[in-house]
Amino acid sequence: MNDYKTTIGIEVHCELKTNSKMFSDSINNYGGVANVNINEVDFALPGTLPCMNEYGIELGLKAALALNCEINKKVVFDRKNYFYPDLPKGYQITQARNPIGVNGYVEIEVDGVKKKIGIHDIHIEEDTCKSTHAETKSYLDFNRNGVPLIEIVSEPDMSNEKEAMAYLEKLRELLLYTNVSDCKMEEGSMRCDVNVSVSKTDKLGTRTETKNIGSISSVGRAILAEAKRQIEELEAGREILEETRRFDEKKDCTILMRVKETGNDYRYFPEPNLPPYTLEDSFINRVKENMEVLPDVRRKTYLDAGIHPVNVEKIIANKEISDYLLGLNCNLVIASNLLLGEISAYLNKTEKKLEETKLSKEKFTVLVNKLDSKEINNQIFKEIVDTLMETEEDINKLVENQKANALSETDLTNIVEKLILENPESVEDYKQGKDRAIKYLMGQIMKETRGKADPALANQLLLQKLSEQ
Amino acid sequence: MNNYLDLSIKEIHELLVAKKITPVDLVEECYTRIGENSDLNSFITLNKTEAIEYARKLAEEEVEVDNLLWGIPIAIKDNISTKNIRTTCASKMLENYVPIYDATVIEKVKAAKMIIIGKTNMDEFAMGSASRTSYFGAPKNPVDKTKITGGSSGGSASCVAGNLVPIALGSDTGGSIRQPASYTGIVGMKPTYGRVSRYGLIAYGSSLDQIGPMTRNVYENALLLNTLVGKDKKDLTSVEREKEDFTRLIGKNIDGMKIAIPEFFVSSIVSPIIIEKLNHVVEILKENGATVEYVDMKYLDQVVTIYQIITMGEASSNLARFDGVKFGYRAENSESVEDMYANTRYEGFGTEVKRRIMVGSYLLSGENAKIYYDKALMIRNALKQEFNKFFEKYDFVFGPTTTTVAYGLDENLDDPRKSFMDDTLVMPVNMAGLPGINIPMGKDSDNMPIGLHIIGAHFEEARMYQIASFLENKLK
Amino acid sequence: MDKLTKEEVLHVAHLARIKVTDDEIEKYQVDLKKLLDDVDKIKDIEVESSELLVTPVEHESILRNDQDTRSVDFNEIKKNVPATTGNFVEVPVMVNE
Repeated sequence: MNDYKTTIGIEVHCELKTNSKMFSDSINNYGGVANVNINEVDFALPGTLPCMNEYGIELGLKAALALNCEINKKVVFDRKNYFYPDLPKGYQITQARNPIGVNGYVEIEVDGVKKKIGIHDIHIEEDTCKSTHAETKSYLDFNRNGVPLIEIVSEPDMSNEKEAMAYLEKLRELLLYTNVSDCKMEEGSMRCDVNVSVSKTDKLGTRTETKNIGSISSVGRAILAEAKRQIEELEAGREILEETRRFDEKKDCTILMRVKETGNDYRYFPEPNLPPYTLEDSFINRVKENMEVLPDVRRKTYLDAGIHPVNVEKIIANKEISDYLLGLNCNLVIASNLLLGEISAYLNKTEKKLEETKLSKEKFTVLVNKLDSKEINNQIFKEIVDTLMETEEDINKLVENQKANALSETDLTNIVEKLILENPESVEDYKQGKDRAIKYLMGQIMKETRGKADPALANQLLLQKLSEQ
Repeated sequence: MNNYLDLSIKEIHELLVAKKITPVDLVEECYTRIGENSDLNSFITLNKTEAIEYARKLAEEEVEVDNLLWGIPIAIKDNISTKNIRTTCASKMLENYVPIYDATVIEKVKAAKMIIIGKTNMDEFAMGSASRTSYFGAPKNPVDKTKITGGSSGGSASCVAGNLVPIALGSDTGGSIRQPASYTGIVGMKPTYGRVSRYGLIAYGSSLDQIGPMTRNVYENALLLNTLVGKDKKDLTSVEREKEDFTRLIGKNIDGMKIAIPEFFVSSIVSPIIIEKLNHVVEILKENGATVEYVDMKYLDQVVTIYQIITMGEASSNLARFDGVKFGYRAENSESVEDMYANTRYEGFGTEVKRRIMVGSYLLSGENAKIYYDKALMIRNALKQEFNKFFEKYDFVFGPTTTTVAYGLDENLDDPRKSFMDDTLVMPVNMAGLPGINIPMGKDSDNMPIGLHIIGAHFEEARMYQIASFLENKLK
Repeated sequence: MDKLTKEEVLHVAHLARIKVTDDEIEKYQVDLKKLLDDVDKIKDIEVESSELLVTPVEHESILRNDQDTRSVDFNEIKKNVPATTGNFVEVPVMVNE
């Protein structure tokens, strides 16, 4: 059973983060009240014509550049004809013949091994209506119809579920970081169809397509299940048919939807209503120059700055923090610790975004520098963090006040000495090597100082004084 | 009964300016004439209440002295979207469809304060050459009511030729303005592709369709075109051009103009009487300082084939939206979506439309798209290059508009190819996106009109009106 | 006489989603064949151009600004919709989901 090789190719659809639709001037927003973000073009009323959204083209181009594609400078569209109620015109406007980007790649890393996954092409198209079904009727909401999409078609370059998942994570990361799409699989703004085949030889086996899988981890499970099914079929002497399947999350298996008709007959032809649009070099260059710093470049910066690899991935996974770190000129290790620690905790607690707080980058840099130079310690930072986030108060003043308010080392020493005198049993316990003595005394110190003591310093002083007993 | 509608638009305008009449007089006369000639079946829907109301409102306003079309009644082909006026495309499919938006040309017509009288009869979805595929019955030729008007803009031709309404809009995919204009003896212009916005024109063959004016004379045609043209951001195929007055060259002579007549246009497919009339035009041209040469032009004899492939292919896709889901007819009692599609389209479309959609779907399916459609687009490109070549040397290409005069309403009903063959001389213009105009050049012994077809280079409409008007005068 | 088979007629009718009844099928067999013979002539045409002319007047698309938007009230659109439920367009239940 182990001598089968699995081959995987993936088609990903992502909705573009535009304000309006791709070929109509209605608003790109769905999920709320049905049929509100629509006009006569979305309803394909007789006589209506498509127009092209400039920003939609720009985002398609940006995605193609981020995926290292060759760019087709002449942007043209085709009609993909088929009948379905969620497709109002009876055709989808897409780029079948000349996709905006071809021959690209993304680099993935699985178990420390790097691999390039080829991108066959990336093309711009439009989304369909959303439908819901009851027993005898279906109901259509046209809000989603016409939302700009890109479809990214990979080469069949992946050979196991880990690579497939890494590829999808990578795509998602790139499209999120370039602000092309919000890539929310659970909301359908990123959707995956996975082609799987197995073979014992170099000749590829017949592939099946498993459609609309709900999450990246499910993609992994679906691939395992489908490869297993295919191998069992072949071992049982049966043939694999070209089929469309879906993944059943609960049963952990793929289920047949339909056998593919002989060659999907989409009757493609060039869309006569959309004359070509030429991407000028100046436009392409502007998009390149304005491109966000890509995640792999950021990874390298963080690692070079000495941030722990685990934290690096945490930052990459949190675009808000990653963006905040851009261009900061201070100790990035300290900065990232603060952002992943106390500041994230604050944001979670208050359900705020960083940009909604008063923590300007300037203020934050001053803060990091003060910590870096040991002008303040973590304890002081913790005391002032809420004020920093919520008010415009000057950070230097805040720190001064806090220091004045804080315990001096002498004060703390006095308190430690006093507590040792007051608790001779604990001293005795300590001498006998009982750990709870330290714990108890530390508790007393914190109680006495109402939590103001720097725990590290208090601990150090306590041990020092005890050893002198 | 006054006969204001027999006057020219200029004369009517003077009466309006002098306050001797108001638009109400014109509109009422239109409806009287339409009523008296209801057997012509020119209209599918009349806009009577609203038109009279609007005319009354205009009567209270100052006449725009510089706007010759102010208060002038106009008829609109029923494949152009008119807000709140039923727009059927002469199909059962849209029998009860009332648009919620105006086509861009309708916005322009309204801005010029013309009064929309009604929606004219046509071939169903503009597919046909005799307007006989209309779900509402064929319109009749005012010259001889037993004869066809031609098509697909048959109703517009019929109402202008019958002088029921002075001007009308038609649309032309493969001759649908010029051919009925020829059969009924009026002037019809298909402008350069991209001159007039197609937004709101219910598509038949998107890369060929163009809206244009149908009028009683050349001057009024140019006048109406003035208001129709312009880049429209809702139609990306519409073209930005400097504003021009299409009447500006009318009245100038034609000395030195060079005219080519392709041999195919005077070949044996054309009736002798029509060739005779064309020869007479050639004499007039030569007498007035123009030169005429007979030339051999490639691909003209193959245009019907590529026209069939391109229009049926595009139509099969353009008409996919008529599926019973969003508007128009839906067959009742369908249990599944597939049933609803098949029944709705079976019951809603007429025979000609169904035939063309079926063939079109086949032509685009699988490998056929390459064999037929792509090749047709290559020949189309070659044909356009061929025209370009000739326009380097010649100002215009001339020929007859049709191969015969209008035939009987009950003739040639059985051959599905006939409707294509009727337009064989005028289709090349749509293929190359060129402007083409029909003007009357005489009559046969039965008094049936014969049309002259003038083809210009892209955006040469003003010069075409110049020579057309010159010949119109000489042929009077 | 030269004509299509019944199966061929039913195939193109299905592509076009148009029902064909038994009493019509024979006429379609003949009529469609005539049109298909016509378009088949294209195979014999020699052409020097390999470029496809999609739209006849050479010019470029002008793009629309993403920020300009416009909506139409569903109550307007609804007037022409054959069947609605609330704010939804209603159709017989869709299969093949």
